Amino acid sequence: MFVRPDNWKELSPMERRKVRLDNWQNAPVQFMSPEAEANYKERIGRLRKIYDMEPHDRPIADGFMGANEYVVRRKGMNGKDMVYNHEKLREPLLEFHNEFQPDTAVSPLPYPGKVMDLLNYQTYIWGGQKLPDELTIQAVEGEYMMADEYRVFAADPTDFWLKKYIPRVMPALGPLAMLTEFPRVSENVDLIDMILPFGLPPFQAMLQTLMEAGNELMKMLGAVGQTGAMIAASGFPSMGFNIVKTPFDYLGDTLRGTKGILTDMYRRPNDLLAACEAYVPVLINAVVNASDRNGAPAALYVLHKGADAFMSQPQFEKFYWPTWKQVMMGLYEEGIVSYLFIEGSYNKRLQNLAEMPEKSLVCHFDQTEMGPVKDILSDKQIIAGNVPASLMATGTTDEVRAYCGNLMDLFGDAPGYIMAHGCYFENTTDDKMRAFMDSVKR
Amino acid sequence: MSQELIDAITDMREDDVLRITNELLNGGASPLDILNACKAAMEVIGQRFETGEAFIPELILAGEMMTAVSDILKPRMAEEAPGDKLGKIVLGTVEGDIHDIAKDIVVFMLDLNGFEVTDLGVDVPAARFVEAVQETGATIVGLSGFLTLAYDPMKETVAALRENGLNVKIMIGGGQIDEQIRDYTGADAYGRDAMAAVALAKEWVKES
Ligand code: B12
Repeated sequence: MFVRPDNWKELSPMERRKVRLDNWQNAPVQFMSPEAEANYKERIGRLRKIYDMEPHDRPIADGFMGANEYVVRRKGMNGKDMVYNHEKLREPLLEFHNEFQPDTAVSPLPYPGKVMDLLNYQTYIWGGQKLPDELTIQAVEGEYMMADEYRVFAADPTDFWLKKYIPRVMPALGPLAMLTEFPRVSENVDLIDMILPFGLPPFQAMLQTLMEAGNELMKMLGAVGQTGAMIAASGFPSMGFNIVKTPFDYLGDTLRGTKGILTDMYRRPNDLLAACEAYVPVLINAVVNASDRNGAPAALYVLHKGADAFMSQPQFEKFYWPTWKQVMMGLYEEGIVSYLFIEGSYNKRLQNLAEMPEKSLVCHFDQTEMGPVKDILSDKQIIAGNVPASLMATGTTDEVRAYCGNLMDLFGDAPGYIMAHGCYFENTTDDKMRAFMDSVKR
Repeated sequence: MSQELIDAITDMREDDVLRITNELLNGGASPLDILNACKAAMEVIGQRFETGEAFIPELILAGEMMTAVSDILKPRMAEEAPGDKLGKIVLGTVEGDIHDIAKDIVVFMLDLNGFEVTDLGVDVPAARFVEAVQETGATIVGLSGFLTLAYDPMKETVAALRENGLNVKIMIGGGQIDEQIRDYTGADAYGRDAMAAVALAKEWVKES
């Protein structure tokens, strides 16, 4: 949890950032041993210095996201285990941390398999369900908002999500569509409309399902939480994140689909822009609230459809960048760091990122050329990436060493650098993993 | 050839494209003329893609406009005479992978540059590639893949094509594919983008 100090209103964005990061850094942990405590403090201290772009002994190597499946797959866990058997992952995870002594905690994302089953979730397929057990989880694109619904969406994104999007992608929650429009509940008789669905059998059945899903979620969170606490107790800090996307990507990934959104840029540009605009306050609110609830000092963006290959620079600057920048600025004002996982390449977009205030971003690159990144961004923002998955999967240990060595030549004494994957590698070897992690210790 | 139609297509004015097509037809223009205008427009768009002025949105829209126009023309046309094609290519996204946007672009550019492309779609098993080459007599195979999970299916597909004694050149490409993976899979070449696919294909048909 994060509680704002009384003088919050008087604080500058950078001061707010400091308060949030202090809160994260000093969150209480029950340590296993004094040694674990010392290690934890050293590790989190280094990570903090990187975030503050202050002098520190060396960059860190971060397997978070990059190797998060490998750390359990190396002990024979499969995709189905990651979706359904969260207890089973504990031992391999603790073993990995013990053996490799990583700079930060690494673990698979907590996919709630049973909850997804109960809700009949449509936008993904996963191991143990429709995918072979070996595989974890895969997105399936669909058109969940029709072209003529843009205006309904822009008028009230939350209402659209609750009563149109969720029923479409989680059929078990279909009855949500019966709910009234809440902001009109005002006079006492309005309670009739508000409560009516709760008296009807299909809605009540849905509530039962939701409670069951809630119970399953609590079980999963218990298991995952215990593992996380044990990893922290043995000396490994993790960065707190809340996941978010750009307005354009929410509309593209989630509502309209790739082809839909890209053609909408021509077919209904004004509707698209209005929908992006409508999203801005919703997202700022959502991330600030989440950061207050769970104390995470950063927002993690997975960036999809603004990459070099997807659109021209003028299109990027018209459709993608302005509302995204507004979201990042809104979070910056509230002291929240934007951690950008930049999928694909952003060779043409570096100047846009350079518009952002100092230390407001961590820029984690996949395939972007790192030379220009160094010149354009590394004095102002924290940089991470770009060790290729192909190399980690099929290269030799020496090749990994050489690639990471080059990155160290470029960024070894940048004010803030995190050695990390470009796109995640689920298959690699212990030797290559070690070469990757040791590369920062030269 | 109608410059008005060409401009409408290259400016992405979908509604105008349909209107002009109908007007031309009603005014007695031959379907073949209209088709030629479309081809000219596609070439412009293809060039813009090569020079980095057009991107995925334009290619998708161009593709959809072409489908719409040919739907209007089809009933009025005899079977399109198979023009001189440079060569036959079989292309698809390998098993386990469903990324198709990039593949579609590669198909579009190859087609535009005079190749006859058989598009097998996504999640294509190795055996299907083998079958398609046997059916079409293609001399070039293109494998697209975006996942690290695609490395092994790619490797298996290359092996299957070779084991069946098919004399094809194989190129691979897609998000996480690079020279390293070419080496791993045993493919003949890796192409970074759709232009590379065209260049490779042209080189290979010249050689044979
Ligand atoms: C869009 C997208 C999707 C969409 C796909 C929509 C569609 N219809 O294709 C959806 C949402 C469905 C999707 C799903 C998934 N995706 Co995805 N996706 C992407 C994304 C953002 C863009 C890919 C793209 O289309 N780029 C646009 C193209 C046009 O650009 P381009 O690559 O430059 O294109 C050129 C070259 O590729 C080349 N080329 C392509 N094919 C060929 C073939 C030949 C022969 C040649 C010569 C050249 C060539 O020519 C193209 C044109 O010039 C990438 C990240 C990224 N930015 O790369 C992730 C990414 C590929 N996805 C990823 C993942 C993990 C997934 C999922 C598993 C996600 C999940 N957990 O749900 C599922 C898997 C589904 C499956 N079984 O395939 C990962 C792969 C990671 C890994 N280690 O494997 C990536 C890299 C994201 C990431 N960084 O984590 N995805």
